[in-house]
Amino acid sequence: MLREQFPGLNVQVHGKPLVYLDNAATAQRPQAVLDAINDYYLNHNANIHRGVHALSESATVLYEQARVSMAKLINAPTMKDLIFVRGCTEGVNLVAQTFVRNRLKAGDEILISHLEHHSNIVPWQILCEQTGAVLKVIPMNQLGELELDDLDQLINEKTRFMSVVHVSNSLGTINPVKKMVQAAHDKGVPVLVDGAQATPHIKVDVQDLDCDFYTVSGHKMYGPTGSGVLYGKTEHLNSMPPYHGGGEMISKVTFESTVYNAVPAKFEAGTPNIAGGIGLGAAAEFILAAGIDKISARDHQLRVYTEQALKQVSGLSIIGNAKEKSPVFSFVIDGVHAHDIGTIIDHCGVAVRTGHHCTMPIFQYYGLAGTCRASLAFYNTEQDVDVLVESLLKAKTMFQ
Amino acid sequence: MTDLNQLYKKAILEHNRNPRNYGKPESWTHYAEGLNAICGDLVEVYLSIQDGVLETVHYSGESCAIAMASASMMTELSTGLTTVDWQQKFGLFKRLMDKNNAINSFDELGEVNTLVTVKKFPSRIKSATLCWYAVDAAIKGVGTATTE
Ligand SMILES: Cc1ncc(COP(=O)(O)O)c(C=O)c1O
Repeated sequence: MLREQFPGLNVQVHGKPLVYLDNAATAQRPQAVLDAINDYYLNHNANIHRGVHALSESATVLYEQARVSMAKLINAPTMKDLIFVRGCTEGVNLVAQTFVRNRLKAGDEILISHLEHHSNIVPWQILCEQTGAVLKVIPMNQLGELELDDLDQLINEKTRFMSVVHVSNSLGTINPVKKMVQAAHDKGVPVLVDGAQATPHIKVDVQDLDCDFYTVSGHKMYGPTGSGVLYGKTEHLNSMPPYHGGGEMISKVTFESTVYNAVPAKFEAGTPNIAGGIGLGAAAEFILAAGIDKISARDHQLRVYTEQALKQVSGLSIIGNAKEKSPVFSFVIDGVHAHDIGTIIDHCGVAVRTGHHCTMPIFQYYGLAGTCRASLAFYNTEQDVDVLVESLLKAKTMFQ
Repeated sequence: MTDLNQLYKKAILEHNRNPRNYGKPESWTHYAEGLNAICGDLVEVYLSIQDGVLETVHYSGESCAIAMASASMMTELSTGLTTVDWQQKFGLFKRLMDKNNAINSFDELGEVNTLVTVKKFPSRIKSATLCWYAVDAAIKGVGTATTE
């Protein structure tokens, strides 16, 4: 059983077995990831790419192997196209400032979608402030899907960049990003895809998507917090200036000038999150071994079961009913505020998130301050869903 | 009673369902918005202050039961007080809601004392206190307050 490999699921909260349904905020990590982190600190503790001593050598090998594993997971052409970052947030900021910024002049447009996480909105607003560029938004519909009929008009001669989320963290919607990339490329517009919620659930193939950049968040895909990768096409990464200056990203420094290191080192200034990177590699290997197709199939079973089960709670409305979606359920219940639901079901051991889930514009669209969100992973069980339903019924009773 | 049942006591649920002094009044002299942006609680308070007395205290907003009930109870307790007396009650309320403080009621706070169980739910204290900080801000002529 894969579930047994996740020791973090075995805790009790308020004297009840944990029912962890907050996977979109951060996932649990398998023993293999925890072991890889420990193994680095216990047996290979050294800085990387620096020393000639044995430990530095072996730590470097582990770190670079992790890059290879991540390249395999998202089918990048070469491991050199992957930059280790702190997560998706850093990935987007890096691309905004080093790739997009110097292509912009006042009046140019950047296109995002209504389904974006704040981390794929704010970096572009900052960039717009810096350059006088304008942010444009692909609209959404009641189902929580993007309205793509007018995409061709939205991508116009002023559009310099498009950045869209692959899978929505709030509604679960899986966007047709391959088609969107194609539409943008037809007009010569490069595209970043925010893959934070994709790698834990669905197959990601950056070559098939043909996107210019792809961001991956380690902690959402069963890896360590503060880890992630940014994939970029080789020609882009080579042409971009560095993001942060410091050690590691240089090949020669004098007081007169500095020669930058080659990609990916050019973007990896300073001592990185070595243990995090190694743990992320272990998470990638875990997914590869478990089989992403099997994970997606289990997600689908859980989605069908949960949709059915939630019907037992009268007055409950699921927000976001896209045809293609991951097992994420944002919902509201008539007469009971989301925070009260969250507090009550927490006492039944059920962990969900309440609020706007860092996607305020989505809830402005629905006219809601926020929702409760149950986000499942393949290791959740039907029984977890039953406990959720029971606890929601209890919340309703309390408020009657 | 379990902690949870204590938190959602009858009085709190009743105030949540039938909030007193709820809604934007026709006129007011002082206003402030209390916003906990991260958790999404929003209360707006409207005060009419004449000669240093809180003649009317109204609020509106969409929040959890704890924030709604707290605001409802607060408006009842506050109406008719001088701002000086109100500040004194606010001081007591802050002590009541301080989780490092074992005191679990003050006679002067009346029904507001039912909120004391919120102390057992540290993540919710900010919901219960938001409306009070909003009134404090309004009295002081500050437009916004937060307890996050
Ligand atoms: C869709 C989406 N994009 C971006 C992020 C930010 O990712 P990170 O935490 O890796 O910076 C998140 C997570 O909160 C997310 O769900």
